[in-house]
Amino acid sequence: MAEVNYVMEALKFMVLGMGVVFLFLFILVIVVELQAKLIAKYFPENTPIKTPATPAVDTEDESRRVAAIIAAVTEFRKNKS
Amino acid sequence: MRLKQLLISLLFILVSLTTMIQADEEHKGANEAQTTAHKEYHPKSLSELGVSFLETTGIKAIVDTNDGEMSSDPAGESKEHKLGAFESSFGRIIMILIVFLLFYLAIAKGFEPLLLIPIAFGGLLANIPLAHMAGPEGMLGVIYNMGIANEFFPLLIFMGVGAMTDFAPLLANPKTALLGGAAQFGIFGSLVGAVVLGFDIQDASAISIIGGADGPTSIFIANRLAPDMLGAIAVAAYSYMALVPVIQPPIMRALTTKEERQIKMGVQRRVHRLEKLLFPIVVLMLSIMILPESTPLIGAFAFGNFAKESGVVDRLSDTMQNSLINTVTIFLGLGVGSKLAADKFLVLESLGIMIIGLLAFSAGTAMGVLMAKLMNKFSKEPINPLIGAAGVSAVPMSARVVSKVGAEEKPGNVLLMHAMGPNVAGVIGSAVAAGVLLSIFK
Repeated sequence: MAEVNYVMEALKFMVLGMGVVFLFLFILVIVVELQAKLIAKYFPENTPIKTPATPAVDTEDESRRVAAIIAAVTEFRKNKS
Repeated sequence: MRLKQLLISLLFILVSLTTMIQADEEHKGANEAQTTAHKEYHPKSLSELGVSFLETTGIKAIVDTNDGEMSSDPAGESKEHKLGAFESSFGRIIMILIVFLLFYLAIAKGFEPLLLIPIAFGGLLANIPLAHMAGPEGMLGVIYNMGIANEFFPLLIFMGVGAMTDFAPLLANPKTALLGGAAQFGIFGSLVGAVVLGFDIQDASAISIIGGADGPTSIFIANRLAPDMLGAIAVAAYSYMALVPVIQPPIMRALTTKEERQIKMGVQRRVHRLEKLLFPIVVLMLSIMILPESTPLIGAFAFGNFAKESGVVDRLSDTMQNSLINTVTIFLGLGVGSKLAADKFLVLESLGIMIIGLLAFSAGTAMGVLMAKLMNKFSKEPINPLIGAAGVSAVPMSARVVSKVGAEEKPGNVLLMHAMGPNVAGVIGSAVAAGVLLSIFK
């Protein structure tokens, strides 16, 4: 029986291993790119609408509340006198 | 009414207890012949007591090399053998000194202390004479059999790593995943090197996985392919991971020009939440179709990541990222440490493993950088070749190293997020490579 050349075997492992790793990652890249396109098309993000709106509402709310307090206090003082 | 119920239930408990005790006694009676009874005690003089005590001291066990002490192995007596003169004396002392060196590296130099401290302390405990802590009934042996012999702990760690990983940088620039593939050349290149050095091809495969720069994967594969070398492989993997900031930069500089290192990369796009949510599923589906052998690792990883990205089970993902992974790290470290016993670690093979491990890390880094250079030539957007070095997994250490080298060449050039892409792809790549190796030796 011929002596097995283990270095050759190891080189074969290398070809197989690197081939599978690259194949796997290559398919992964394609799928992920496709997925990004599909998601961008069918589920566009709509985040920018919300953010600027909140602080404006807040300040308005605050001034209204202050106005209400002032009104209440003046009414109370009027009643007292 | 309540009282009555209580009384009845108490009665039941009492009845069942007494029957159990009776059964137990019968059992004991049957076994009495087999179990060794108490030795009959003979009166001893004080000098006799002193001598018999001295017989059991560690000093005596270390000095007397011919006391017929047995080695201990978690697998039990079938794997144990009588310790040689060197193994039971100087071997232990050398191992304890190595353990102290590991302590020094972990504490003073900050080399992966979270793992090196438990591993080294496990090694210290495993080298205690007479205590047999690494045996099937010792603490280390129990831990080893609980989760390392059956590959459970590495998978739990992988789960936690999955829950900690953010794939956004990879999703923003998927092409960089190929760099994580190129760096796996470290595994297969060093496989050839190990065979040339004279290792059996199965052992060589187990050793070469160090090039994947991934602790849990290394332990997983070592346990399947070459359990006797587990200690040396794990220690080599973790010490080289800790040495990434020392090993990588010279290779990165040698293979790139100054202009290449100064390349600036654009700002990454925002990644949609759905993309991140679907990614672990996509990876798992691919590995199911192409390489089911790698699914224990990738499955655990994908589960951790999915739990994180789902956003509705923060408690679970938090546990995986913190308390669970910390608990498992303690056990994993101590269990691996049990393989640092002198009779297992102080063999010529350990030296070979250390050399091949270094070779594997260097080859992986070099191939990643070269691949990035190639991609830079053909890509529309510029790619800084330095990020190829992050393709060896070692998350997030190697990405940080890349960022640091990049910033040294051109202040203000932040490559960290760009390097994270190949970095996390490297984790997937090494799990796939591990699956290939397992499929060969099935």
